[in-house]
Amino acid sequence: MLGKKTVTFADDVRSDTSEEAFENLKKTNYAGKKLTDPVKEVEDKWQLLPAFLKVKGLVKQHIDSYNYFVETELKKIVRTNEMITSDVDPSFWLKYLDIRVGPPDRPDTDHEAHVNVFTPHECRLRDLTYSGNICVDIEYVRGKKRVVRKNTIIGKMPIMLRSSKCVLTDKSEAELAKMFECPLDPGGYFIIKGTEKVILIQEQLSKNRIIVEGDKKGLVQAYVTSSTHERKSKTYIVAKNDAKNDKITLKHNSISEEIPIVIVMKAMGIQSDKEISQLISGGNQIFLNMFSPNIEQCAKMKIFTQKQALDYIGSKVKVTRKIANVRRPMAEEALEVLSTVVLAHVPVKDLNFQPKCIYIAIMIRRVLMALANENLVDDRDYVGNKRLELAGSLLSLLFEDLFKKFNFDLKMNIDKLLKKPNRATEFDAHKQLMQHGDSITNGFVRAIATGNWTLKRFKMERAGITHVLSRLSYIAALGTMTRITSQYEKTRKVSGPRALQLCPADTPEGEACGLVKNLALMTHITTDDEEQPLRRLAFNLGIEDVNSLTGAELYRKNAYMVFLNGLMLGITCQPNNFVHDFRRLRRCGRISEFVSIYVNHHHNAVHIASDGGRVCRPLIIVENRIPKVTTKHIQKLKKDEMTFADFLAQGLVEYLDVNEENDSNIAIYEREIVNETTHLEIEPFTILGAVAGLIPYPHHNQSPRNTYQCAMGKQAIGAIAYNQLRRIDTLLYLMVYPQQPMVKTKTIELVGYDKLPAGQNAIVAVMSYSGYDIEDALVLNKASVDRGFGRCQVMRKHVALMKRYANGTYDRIGDPPAQVDCPTGPSADRFNILDSDGIAGVGERVMPGQVIVNRHTPTNLSANIPVNMPIVNAPVIQFTWKHSPLTYKAPEPGYIDKVCVTTTEQEQTLIKILIRQTRIPELGDKFSSRHGQKGVCGIIVPQEDMPFADSGICPDIIMNPHGFPSRMTVGKMIELLAGKAGVLKGELQYGTAFGGSKVEDMSKILIKHGYSYSGKDYVTSGITGEPLSAYIFFGPVYYQKLKHMVVDKMHARARGPRAVLTRQPTEGRSRDGGLRLGEMERDCLVGYGASMLLMERLMISSDQFDVHVCEQCGLLGYKGWCQNCKSSKFMVTMQMPYAAKLLFQELQSMNIAPRLILEEF
Amino acid sequence: MDLFSPANKPEIRIQELTGERIRFILTNTDLSMANALRRIMISEVATIAIDMVQFDLNTSVLADEFIAHRLGLIPLDSTEADKIKYPRDCNCSGACKECSVELNLHVKCTEEDTTKDVTSKDLVSHDPRFTPITEGPKDAGILIAKLRKGQEIKVKCIAKKGVAKEHAKWSPCAAVAFEYDPFNKLRHTHYWIEEDEKKEWPQSKNANDDFPPLDDEIFDFTAKPNRFYFEIETIGSMKPEDIVMNAFKKLLEKISSIQMGLHSNDVPINGREPTRDVF
Repeated sequence: MLGKKTVTFADDVRSDTSEEAFENLKKTNYAGKKLTDPVKEVEDKWQLLPAFLKVKGLVKQHIDSYNYFVETELKKIVRTNEMITSDVDPSFWLKYLDIRVGPPDRPDTDHEAHVNVFTPHECRLRDLTYSGNICVDIEYVRGKKRVVRKNTIIGKMPIMLRSSKCVLTDKSEAELAKMFECPLDPGGYFIIKGTEKVILIQEQLSKNRIIVEGDKKGLVQAYVTSSTHERKSKTYIVAKNDAKNDKITLKHNSISEEIPIVIVMKAMGIQSDKEISQLISGGNQIFLNMFSPNIEQCAKMKIFTQKQALDYIGSKVKVTRKIANVRRPMAEEALEVLSTVVLAHVPVKDLNFQPKCIYIAIMIRRVLMALANENLVDDRDYVGNKRLELAGSLLSLLFEDLFKKFNFDLKMNIDKLLKKPNRATEFDAHKQLMQHGDSITNGFVRAIATGNWTLKRFKMERAGITHVLSRLSYIAALGTMTRITSQYEKTRKVSGPRALQLCPADTPEGEACGLVKNLALMTHITTDDEEQPLRRLAFNLGIEDVNSLTGAELYRKNAYMVFLNGLMLGITCQPNNFVHDFRRLRRCGRISEFVSIYVNHHHNAVHIASDGGRVCRPLIIVENRIPKVTTKHIQKLKKDEMTFADFLAQGLVEYLDVNEENDSNIAIYEREIVNETTHLEIEPFTILGAVAGLIPYPHHNQSPRNTYQCAMGKQAIGAIAYNQLRRIDTLLYLMVYPQQPMVKTKTIELVGYDKLPAGQNAIVAVMSYSGYDIEDALVLNKASVDRGFGRCQVMRKHVALMKRYANGTYDRIGDPPAQVDCPTGPSADRFNILDSDGIAGVGERVMPGQVIVNRHTPTNLSANIPVNMPIVNAPVIQFTWKHSPLTYKAPEPGYIDKVCVTTTEQEQTLIKILIRQTRIPELGDKFSSRHGQKGVCGIIVPQEDMPFADSGICPDIIMNPHGFPSRMTVGKMIELLAGKAGVLKGELQYGTAFGGSKVEDMSKILIKHGYSYSGKDYVTSGITGEPLSAYIFFGPVYYQKLKHMVVDKMHARARGPRAVLTRQPTEGRSRDGGLRLGEMERDCLVGYGASMLLMERLMISSDQFDVHVCEQCGLLGYKGWCQNCKSSKFMVTMQMPYAAKLLFQELQSMNIAPRLILEEF
Repeated sequence: MDLFSPANKPEIRIQELTGERIRFILTNTDLSMANALRRIMISEVATIAIDMVQFDLNTSVLADEFIAHRLGLIPLDSTEADKIKYPRDCNCSGACKECSVELNLHVKCTEEDTTKDVTSKDLVSHDPRFTPITEGPKDAGILIAKLRKGQEIKVKCIAKKGVAKEHAKWSPCAAVAFEYDPFNKLRHTHYWIEEDEKKEWPQSKNANDDFPPLDDEIFDFTAKPNRFYFEIETIGSMKPEDIVMNAFKKLLEKISSIQMGLHSNDVPINGREPTRDVF
């Protein structure tokens, strides 16, 4: 723009000296703007973000992927497996015409209540699975007629919340509230047997792409993981780069040894050496020289024709086929393997091997290039070489497997029935179909509930695919939804995510660091897209077909190979024009916005990608240094006249995946736009994810602090969802008075953290106080605690299931006993809180050990007692019950918050009781600010002892200043400053990453209100009344209470339970266990020589036992009798650990006689 | 300084007095006395606050403890708190009229579309002297909970006399500002500055009432503070001047008990001989 203006106003400038001309130039006005004015920013372009999130949502990746699966992929799978025929009756067939997934459906439909909608919340409460029927339309032969049946149910499909099949989609807040659902809940998870399960995003290497890698020994290999619906296989082209063996070979699982590459080429029909060398070197002398030994080797092996090559390969092919089949000639075997198994994704039609040959040639060339220049290997950690697998693709794998198994079973059953010579009724396949109901349903439920994806067909066995949705806090739930886990080797350490699509801060510490990642805010993950139209389009744009190419053309100067999803289409000589045209068509909306195209100049290739699992994000298009999005557009967006889709449709914004991003020149701000710029960032803070987005001023913090906060934000207690009080979760932490942070970020508003916050704005004084604040301990103000600071409620679920047993008996609830056996005993008030129905009453205070459900279990579970027999003629059978009450075991008393009585799918009564504790902060409770600065409460000080500012304000928390220098959390200081300014001015401040309220402005506000610009205050000691000699950094900081609380952890024991086998004290707090004096502690005592102490700790306080030993034979005996010596003469008594006695006896049982030789001591 | 000479009697000059705040200058006394006064005002002036809540019915969304906590923090008019006994001084076993006030709260929402606010105005006190405070007739009261149609709260509250040492709900004051020497003539503090102290540090409002230092004033290292600026903001349960007066009373009580202790060395304490005499 600058350049243009210079030309336009050149006429106005009529000065002689150039300096003067320049001065004049600076003064020139155009539409009220000076030439030297900075490039105008597009106002509020961050408004695109909420617009994006409105259509895409926070977890749209999951939902899109699931929708794609349910609506498109499902039908595709059925179409490829549509026919079932019978081996017995050739006239029989069954064909699937269509498949669809119905709306969520209650399993017990005969239930009275089935008139109302089946909501997700009912599933949570009743431990049901949120699923809908899978209905198929079938056409089959019955007798001699063709019958069409519609809407046959073959199983149930778990439904993802907020997907197109879910009842919550497109509902208003009021409607959601009626269904007890939180409008802020992002959805994207499943409810399986009452638990919320997330299918995590799985990361893996790209399928169907060539990856070249080298190792330290000089071995270079190119490999492709081919993946089609039928087959998954891995093909290697290996070059061992050492003096003895510099040949290139092909390696594949179905071939028993490595095959020289030239033989493979010959087997595929390229018999002339010249042709081969041309395909690989393309006339390049260097590559020709490198490759020639291979040709020579082939000649030495005397393989010249295709037949010879095929015979050679055929002898190496592993035959997996059953012996029953007729053995085919080896050459045919080889041909079959080469066409369908090796590089399975490259199609071979009518034995036209041309595309596959060229594909192999390219792989060889890539290997040669890497041999010549070791920088040309691919980076396996590069995000562009990775694909993210989402719920949809994982479910489709699972469904395909289950559906095939279902069909196979069906076929077997049909065959079995058709084999019967005479049937009473006409054979109806529909009935058979109905009988196979559960295998698909159970397959889904089992896989999602356990997280084990076992697909025998692909030899796939993956564990830990699903996670329970963490409902510790709202942020924790969001965090699980955006989490990415890596599928391959856990040993690979990656130095953190490197693409802008992944959050740079949010990764766990320790083992999984860098392997588990999180998506950034604006990331989108693509789903598969049709290839055929793209292929046609590419040819229309002037590509030379791959089938008509020889090596000479392939490597012609300026020739660029064009790939579509890793498959070569052909070549073009004008790659830039081609790419430009292609992009223009995409911006017009002629092809999907998620198709990416980019040029790789190293390989002279243009890559078009339309496959699923690529991460991409939207950017503003810049043309001729002008961003296409203008303030006008944003204003329209604000007025709701435009949506994000319009921005895409009008070609103002487009999605770029990682590879295309690398081919673009992206400016972060308008002022950075130069001639080469192609795109403009929407907002820089979108590089962070939802969890890291909570941190104010993260760009001022030392980076690991942000990572720590990402882990801790998920443990903060706060509001969980609007339906939090309707939920009966195993463990629910709620804050009594949560507050939205004084210093928020744009991300906070976008994800709704201001509506479901987890923390409170505490007035913090950064000073040392009392010595109870060392090592990050915090000093709390007692008055603040009294007034509700850090107060939280902990709710725990207790479940009693009224079981039905196989013999017809069942559990029952008894009313509380009228009188207790021992009215003065310790358990006298055990039944006190029970209502007359035998369940504890709501609002009652529960003491440890009290009964909350007075359940009775039948004593006889094996004998067949016909309970349901008509009473009239039934023999009077007395069946007795025993007590099996549900008792409250926690050490602290609680209150009954809710009681839920319902039935499960199996018609068993389910009683859920929620017990609540209200917890006040105490010594040792953990708190944290939003900057990875955690600390425990070290002391609670009365208000009069607290220091106070001149206005009389006492801090809620005193934090030790030693927390700052080494942590370098400058963001926290700025948060305090901005928070203080916000409080004084009466408005919220922003601490958005790479932006936010400026320190200078904050200082100005402070000064305006009579405070020091530095945020420091004059503070008086509450104890002496004298002012502190130093000035104190004083103001509000958002503090989170973390779930680690002392009451859950403290434990001590004097006497208590012992393990049955060893008679040693039990282990662990939950079992009231002892505190172990471990080996290292024992070593200390041994070294010190405290033998009596050792004796006491290790034996007397543990498992001391009196044994009777026979001095003669040295074996253990009875009291006063040795069974071995048949004598009572030599028996003595001694003490030893019971575990030692046990050892001796176990040794004896193994025919080893441990003899004790006793001496006077 | 001789505290007991008639010339050096402590003096109070009230600067400002409104319904909820008082500003005064205390002179002619020691820092320790002034600070003691401040501490007592915060933590030891007795007020009345709800201490026990008996829930007969609570179908609101809030938990019982939650509501009880909120009820406890509602300021009750405590002007006549001295007319009532501390529970520990009362002879009754639980709560009686001598040592407690009963308040009742019974609200049910019958409105169709809106929620009903339960406020401190719904609290019915059995003793007209101790009621939840209001700021005039327009005051909506302090929000306790919101009820939806059909929800109901019925509780019996027992308010007792207490001090903020035990729980902050008994504190009569919100903030107590306390300062002396606004010009830092005594150099008890060190201003943190980058360049210029006067430019960078705003003056406190008490500076208007103090004597600004002369430019060539010599630092008197023997000087003791004796002008103390107080500002007390109440939470409404007591008049600000009452808080100060009650605090003085309490302070006097404390001082006299110390004096008694000092002068009665030979008198047995709690029926025991002083330990000093053992040897």
